[in-house]
Amino acid sequence: MVMKQIALYGKGGIGKSTTSANLSAALSLAGYDILQIGCDPKRDSTRMLMQGRLIPTVMDQVRERGASGVTPADVVYTGFNGVRCVEAGGPEPGVGCAGRGIIATFQLLEKFGTLTGDVIVYDVLGDVVCGGFAMPMREGYAQEVYLVTSGELMSLYAANNICKAIERLSARPKSRCRLAGVICNAKNQPKEEELVAEFARRVNSHLVQFIPRDRVVQLAELNRKTVIEYEPDSKQAQIYRDLATHIMENPRFTIPTPLEIDDLEALAIEYM
Amino acid sequence: MTTHVRDAITVVHGPQGCTHHNFSLLHATSLDNDRIALPPLVSTGLSETDVIFGGEGALDRTLDTVIARDPGAVFVLSTCIVDTIGDDVGMVCGAKAGVPVIVVPTAGFLGGSFQTGVNNALIALAGMAGPADRNGGVNIIGEKNLEYEVEENFAEVSRLLALLDLSVNIRFVHDLATDRIASLGAARLNVLRDPSLIPVGESLKERFGTPYIPAYPVGISGTVAFLESVADTCGVDCRHAVEEEHMLRQQTLDDFADLAGAGIFFTPLPPDPEGSRVAQDIAQALRLDVTSSGCPVPVPVTPPVGIIGVRRLLHRWRRALHA
Repeated sequence: MVMKQIALYGKGGIGKSTTSANLSAALSLAGYDILQIGCDPKRDSTRMLMQGRLIPTVMDQVRERGASGVTPADVVYTGFNGVRCVEAGGPEPGVGCAGRGIIATFQLLEKFGTLTGDVIVYDVLGDVVCGGFAMPMREGYAQEVYLVTSGELMSLYAANNICKAIERLSARPKSRCRLAGVICNAKNQPKEEELVAEFARRVNSHLVQFIPRDRVVQLAELNRKTVIEYEPDSKQAQIYRDLATHIMENPRFTIPTPLEIDDLEALAIEYM
Repeated sequence: MTTHVRDAITVVHGPQGCTHHNFSLLHATSLDNDRIALPPLVSTGLSETDVIFGGEGALDRTLDTVIARDPGAVFVLSTCIVDTIGDDVGMVCGAKAGVPVIVVPTAGFLGGSFQTGVNNALIALAGMAGPADRNGGVNIIGEKNLEYEVEENFAEVSRLLALLDLSVNIRFVHDLATDRIASLGAARLNVLRDPSLIPVGESLKERFGTPYIPAYPVGISGTVAFLESVADTCGVDCRHAVEEEHMLRQQTLDDFADLAGAGIFFTPLPPDPEGSRVAQDIAQALRLDVTSSGCPVPVPVTPPVGIIGVRRLLHRWRRALHA
């Protein structure tokens, strides 16, 4: 099959890493060869795939031994069911340039020939904060961007901002980056699914999966596992498997139409 | 500017390329002006890794290496990348003891021009000088160290000051020892190289109460006005000096009287209205005919300084006319 590269973007704390890890786990059990790349200096994207281990990051290795001293074995770790895990990492908070760290990570992974497999899942920092964090959307990387959001206004606001980035980047010649859909990771607000579905429609996309809030997610995390691994027979695990199926079969890739802030607020009020 | 402080070292905090260009430029112009010393310019040599993790460590290490060479002072110039990633240059420099470490903000993308950088550097350097008793001398401020005739122009201004029995205190900054900067505030007058340095002149006036003359004298009539202006500011008598200068002016016109009536054409065209005015004045005083069919004669990028500068220019015009 042609390699599929997808990126999950969304506000910090919204559940991107949980969703990404469960998605990767579900895809791997469906027989796909998966690479998950955490693109956040916070470096905890792949933790649940690695039995709770915070793997050494690409930037840690570069800092310790210089870019030329790093080998693929130093940065690629095999986790649950053979999912290959990479954490980009970054500088200490408050210094340097984390965005450039992402760019350098991608260049190193390219050099190593690591960016292979059936599906690459990029789990990207909360918001598009600079060009470096838009790297996964750039030419040659993820062509499908999924927005992870709840029904909360600030979360939709962040998702809307990412739409702006996709719109901007997709206007470039040769760019194949598209919005592939919206994933609602619910806070269990009333009418949340309807709100997020309507938001998705307004930005010229669609709701790919509604993930209700479930205690099993927290339980799995406390046990340092994905839900897929910890409670494979749970309803929640089935939802992640559905997400995996929907993503693999998704035919709808669009150029988003971001909303003005007033329209976004009006939309949120409509579903209060 | 900072590389002209003789026993100081200038650190450029950025990738090597940001230093290379300055280094070659300074080296090449030094050779043109018969100085064979390499410019004391050191790069912190930032790599991509430094950009990602912050360049403060590289600056700190470079400062330690440089300070170990026991310089009179260290000047630290910033570059675009370090201001983009937010290195706290002031903090790193402020932590060094024993040697003055002076930050000159020079990140180009934050605005400003070459001249802004020059002015910032001079104002930063002036920060090293404290209050001083007046010594009656005159400071030369902001010489164009990259211009070909920097020494000749300085000599011409010194000649004019000497006519008024005034002497030069320091050349701020041209081949200046670090400890001499302390006497910056002792001068009775500052002479600026050109009016773009007025912010520096104002800053020095505010700090030391030193009045300033905003520019070197240019063209055929600039020197007399300059003498009058200096004398007026310093409260000295200039009648004798002006008389001598009028004689030199007349002598110059006589010396080049053979050019009268020739048709000339300026090439390249003077870069600004002042340059144009000065060239026209000289041509007019010598009764030269400026016409598009005239003989091409050179016009310098900066107008000739003083009568001696005009004489050098006229020699070149004569050579062009007789070629």
